[in-house]
Amino acid sequence: MSEIVGIDLGTTNSLIGVMDAGFPILIANQEGSRLTPSVVYLPESGDPVVGAPADRMRALFPERTIYSVKRLMGRRPGESEKEDFPFAVKSQSGQMLLELGQRSFKPEEISSLVLKKLKADAELSLGNPIERAVITVPAYFNDLQRQATKRAGELAGFAVERMINEPTAAALAYGLNRLDDHSRIAVYDLGGGTFDISILELNEGVFRVLSTNGNTRLGGDDIDRELVRLLRERIIARHPELRQELDDKLFIARIREIGHAAKLRLSTEETVQVDIPFLSGDRSFPYHLTRQELEAIARPIVRRTRSHCLRSLDDAKLDPAKLDEVILVGGVTRMPIVRQFVAEIFQRLPNNTQNPDEAVAVGATIQAGMLSGQIQNVLLLDVTPLSLGIETFGGLMNVLIPRNSTIPCKAGELFTNAVANQSVVQIVVLQGERELAKDNWELGRFDLEFEPVSKGFARIGVQFEIDADGILHVLARDTRTGRQRLIELSSAVDVSDEAVEKMIAESLDHAFEDMADRLWTEAVLKSNELLPAVRSALTLVGDQIELDDRRKIHRLVNEVEVALKSREHHRLKKANAELDEGTQHLATLLIDRAMAEAARRKK
Amino acid sequence: MIDYFALLGIERRPAINEVFLRDAYVRQAESLQGVQVEASGLSLLNTAFRTIANPATRVQHLLQLQFGDARGGQIGSELGELFGSVAVTLQSVDQEFGSLSAESSALLRALAFQRMDAARQRLQQAENKLLALECNLLSELGKLDGTWPESPGCCRESLAQIALQLTFVQKWLSEVRERKIRLEELT
Repeated sequence: MSEIVGIDLGTTNSLIGVMDAGFPILIANQEGSRLTPSVVYLPESGDPVVGAPADRMRALFPERTIYSVKRLMGRRPGESEKEDFPFAVKSQSGQMLLELGQRSFKPEEISSLVLKKLKADAELSLGNPIERAVITVPAYFNDLQRQATKRAGELAGFAVERMINEPTAAALAYGLNRLDDHSRIAVYDLGGGTFDISILELNEGVFRVLSTNGNTRLGGDDIDRELVRLLRERIIARHPELRQELDDKLFIARIREIGHAAKLRLSTEETVQVDIPFLSGDRSFPYHLTRQELEAIARPIVRRTRSHCLRSLDDAKLDPAKLDEVILVGGVTRMPIVRQFVAEIFQRLPNNTQNPDEAVAVGATIQAGMLSGQIQNVLLLDVTPLSLGIETFGGLMNVLIPRNSTIPCKAGELFTNAVANQSVVQIVVLQGERELAKDNWELGRFDLEFEPVSKGFARIGVQFEIDADGILHVLARDTRTGRQRLIELSSAVDVSDEAVEKMIAESLDHAFEDMADRLWTEAVLKSNELLPAVRSALTLVGDQIELDDRRKIHRLVNEVEVALKSREHHRLKKANAELDEGTQHLATLLIDRAMAEAARRKK
Repeated sequence: MIDYFALLGIERRPAINEVFLRDAYVRQAESLQGVQVEASGLSLLNTAFRTIANPATRVQHLLQLQFGDARGGQIGSELGELFGSVAVTLQSVDQEFGSLSAESSALLRALAFQRMDAARQRLQQAENKLLALECNLLSELGKLDGTWPESPGCCRESLAQIALQLTFVQKWLSEVRERKIRLEELT
């Protein structure tokens, strides 16, 4: 049997490791680094370029250099929020495709190119072929995202022996030389594109995940994007004539590259001098970026991790005081603001003895060692991050396997015919935590066929099983005939392309008709919210601001009121925005007041 | 029907100590480990653990095994009232803050912040009441656990009742907690 490698397939970087004489080691790539950028450059002719050489093409050929493809894995059209990739992403037959000239690629095809490079480099280094792998996935990946990752591994020529959740892998790396411990740890994993929080119990070699939560579209990429926006604004402020040039993809790619490098440096430095060369080449834009500025834009993004942490603590039935350790994983956790934030939530200083870039890959390698038998006396019990259920009457979701159930696990459900001679019933399979079926991910649907019998006599048992990779399998068994079959879920959005195009065309037509109306209504709603809010704010804290300031706010209120009569949505929108902006300090005063009041009451 | 108690190697009882159960489960899981073909065995064991670890589903499974039927029990008027008041609290919080998101204007959020402390307290009260109730139900379950070995038949009604009530308490508790987290998100 050949060796099994462990692979961390990251949003920004990927790593590969192998067991060597009982120890997990990471393998350097051809360029001499253990970190391979998850970037693929696809030239118009010739072979794809992967890793660091491709990363260098990002600012030169932004339309042909694919990065952060992990954010598109297993994702369906319509789920997208603003992503603004410089390369073309389109939706077809219910999935996302990357378009490069005449060719189009599935996200997993791009990922497989990264995996192929890792495989080839490791084979060169080890001197023998590698066929089997453990690949990591974000703990909060749903079934579709996991399946796409598995396909990427298979396309790269691997037998995917196991997929392991990233925070769990990091916990393995942390806990392997503390096997005698009895402890509870939280793993806070903020990577380039995804956020996971997992809480585990370590007990004499048993690693049991108690709960996990996260967001598969939250990470360092979001900070980069905001940083690009900030730098663009600063340039426009100084060079308004460059507004056009600033929309150029090449230029944005360049700002992103420079901004990203500055972000990394600001983890250890207080201020960084950036120098952005203009496309025209004869001038450049020098700027002193401070850590404070970076933190101001990073704060709202980092804050979004808070509710996930609270949910996972709740689900594990623990309060922060009961945790022994909080471990940081992912490059973004090098930022001081993230460390402060984690310390606040968990009421302790996080443990940063682990290398945040390498812990996950080391853990994947340990899992590989467990599967090959090189590591013994370790038991890993992981969970499914999302509840699994089916749609029932009234469009509700009926949970069959609750979130945080240890995997593999199964649940059975018995279906019968509601009327005599009913021949078929359609089952919709869902994943998520919302009460209404439509608010959850639809994993797919299938038809159960009945024999023609009288009402309530047909009996088909369906078994839903989540395997150790977190992937769902559905098995149906006719209890009368004893026939059993594996069910293929058909994708929820397997509608023909023409149908989709027609839908889009119709909604566009419709949209143009009433676009102006809609914009106006939205603006009016906003005014109706704002005006009473400003009035009550003035009553509460109006006496704490300068007279001039009060006059200015009254003027802004007046402008909104006049605009409301004008029926010009541009004007109203502008007036709303100005009033919103002009009352920011009132908001701060109100919050201070509420905090003081709350503090007084607590005394 | 599969006996999950037997699968875990433990006695059929209404109340089971958490640590004891965990150790029994881990012992069984370790014995299955490494045997790749036994993946379905592990799957069954995990399902057993999930069912037995939760007192509501544990009691239902127990009744099903013992009597072939786990139905029965009523919410009762006292509980009905409590659930009513919890529902009102949830609704009022949803109405007051449901339309707000982190993207709403700063002033709107600041104004909401003024009322948030009160809402938080209402939720806390609701949570406390539910927790107290859960605690009562679990201690009743503990008492019944004493009588169970001698005369399971006598416990049947009360157990069904407790299982039903626990199911509801758990559901409401998770709803209340989710609201608390959403309020946190806004600040």
